[in-house]
Amino acid sequence: SSADSHIQYERVGADVTMKCGSMDWDAAVTWTANGTDIDDSHLNGSYLILKNVDLTQSGQYSCYEGSSWHLKYQTYLRVGTPPKEPVLMCRSNNYPKGFYCSWHLPSPTYIPNSFNISVIHGMREMVCEKDIFPKNRCHIRYLQLFSTVKYKVTLTVTNALGKNSTTLTFDEFAIVKPDPPESVVAKPVPNNPRRLEVAWQNPSSWPDPESFPLKFFLRYRPLILDQWQHVELSDGTSHTITDAYAGKEYIIQVAAKDNDIGTWSDWSVAVHATPWTEEPKHLTTEAQVTETTSASTSSFMPPPTTKICDKGAVVGSGAMAVCWTAGLVLAAYGVLFI
Amino acid sequence: MAAADTPSATLRRRDLCSRGIRLARKMRSDVTDLLDIYVERQGLDASASVAVVEGVPAAAAERWSEQTGTQRLLDNLAAYRAFRVLLAQMLEEQQEQLGNTDTTLGRALAAVLLQVSAFTYHLEELLQLESHGPPSEEGVGPPARPPLSLFEQKLRGLGVLRELAQWAVRSVWDLRQLAKPNPGSGSAPSLAESQ
Repeated sequence: SSADSHIQYERVGADVTMKCGSMDWDAAVTWTANGTDIDDSHLNGSYLILKNVDLTQSGQYSCYEGSSWHLKYQTYLRVGTPPKEPVLMCRSNNYPKGFYCSWHLPSPTYIPNSFNISVIHGMREMVCEKDIFPKNRCHIRYLQLFSTVKYKVTLTVTNALGKNSTTLTFDEFAIVKPDPPESVVAKPVPNNPRRLEVAWQNPSSWPDPESFPLKFFLRYRPLILDQWQHVELSDGTSHTITDAYAGKEYIIQVAAKDNDIGTWSDWSVAVHATPWTEEPKHLTTEAQVTETTSASTSSFMPPPTTKICDKGAVVGSGAMAVCWTAGLVLAAYGVLFI
Repeated sequence: MAAADTPSATLRRRDLCSRGIRLARKMRSDVTDLLDIYVERQGLDASASVAVVEGVPAAAAERWSEQTGTQRLLDNLAAYRAFRVLLAQMLEEQQEQLGNTDTTLGRALAAVLLQVSAFTYHLEELLQLESHGPPSEEGVGPPARPPLSLFEQKLRGLGVLRELAQWAVRSVWDLRQLAKPNPGSGSAPSLAESQ
């Protein structure tokens, strides 16, 4: 453990002994924790004994001389853990400008940690400029491209109770992964019940798509099905889906990758679209006359699944209001019954 | 440079660049496969670090985005001419080690050597179009083969193939830059200016 005049760090589960400053062991003292008196059962003479400390015992501990209540010692106890091996990730989403590394601890230590990162490329140590936000990230500018020499990134995390580190070694190309495509838009194509037009843009973080063009992977499926259809597109930022199921709502996503190196981006934000469908038409005057003639000689009742049209279209007494398609069926039945 | 700026020359350059890109991509794919075979047959660790080897053209470039089109072509041509010689040396070493080159590794080496030769010729055509003409190879003999142990030869071969794989990617991007309307200027943001 380590302690300074104000803060004392201890591991979870440790036994902690606090002395009341320079007071003798047999001096009469009172200890408080966050202003609350501590029971004498925790005292060994003037020493405060905390066994098997846990996180809830973090706080301010004060020791007062018995009769005068003079403050003789005060410390802030912080209970925590030494750091576990940190998780480190490096990625280039803006090739060929550079790459960034970000990190986190797999579990909290409950006490302050400091991080130090070193980036070695061959014999050269490179500067990793820390981002203001998020603060667990830094970025490196490439000084060379196409190098066969691997990059070695070591992250060390240190706190008052210990330290830990992890190292990543990788090739320049291996960490290239663009951000997902942006502004994905999907819309129906008028008069085409099986088509959807999809368009998107290069991720804004990719600095030079003309020199380092991206290829794309589009996936789509109707909401009612689980299986995706996939299309890989080597150029362009749009595609027309031509095999959509009529009238079904689709979910569509796009991913990006440099044409030659690295890995696919994550999928873009999903967009939804439904192919164009024809508006239901009202009956014409002739059709309505034909239907009335047929209906007068039959007692045909439309099945329950028949859609019901606007009742304003009905002409003549005793006739049912039916849609145009059901009207054709009626006409056919009417012929049978004449 | 006047010949390089005519519309027909521009079209020809773009056509040569497109074909060159396809050649380079195929070459890269085959070199990647060759690397796997090489590592396995030579009993090497695929992740072994290989120090910079004299005579092997390094693909690494510090101010790549600032290069002119002509410089790109000259650098590529010098590299692939060197690789042509190095791969031939590797084939010879195979012959010396095994007594024949009709092995999986030997055939894969020979196939890549053929592609490197074809790509070299392609680069010479591009330089011809730039009215510079390719620099002569006369007087530039093959790099002397330093006396190396068998293990050192194997490591050197690994270094050669790794650099060749990087060059194949670099060549794709070099040719893409060259195919742009103004290939003479370094149009991409420089590394020094990068954020």
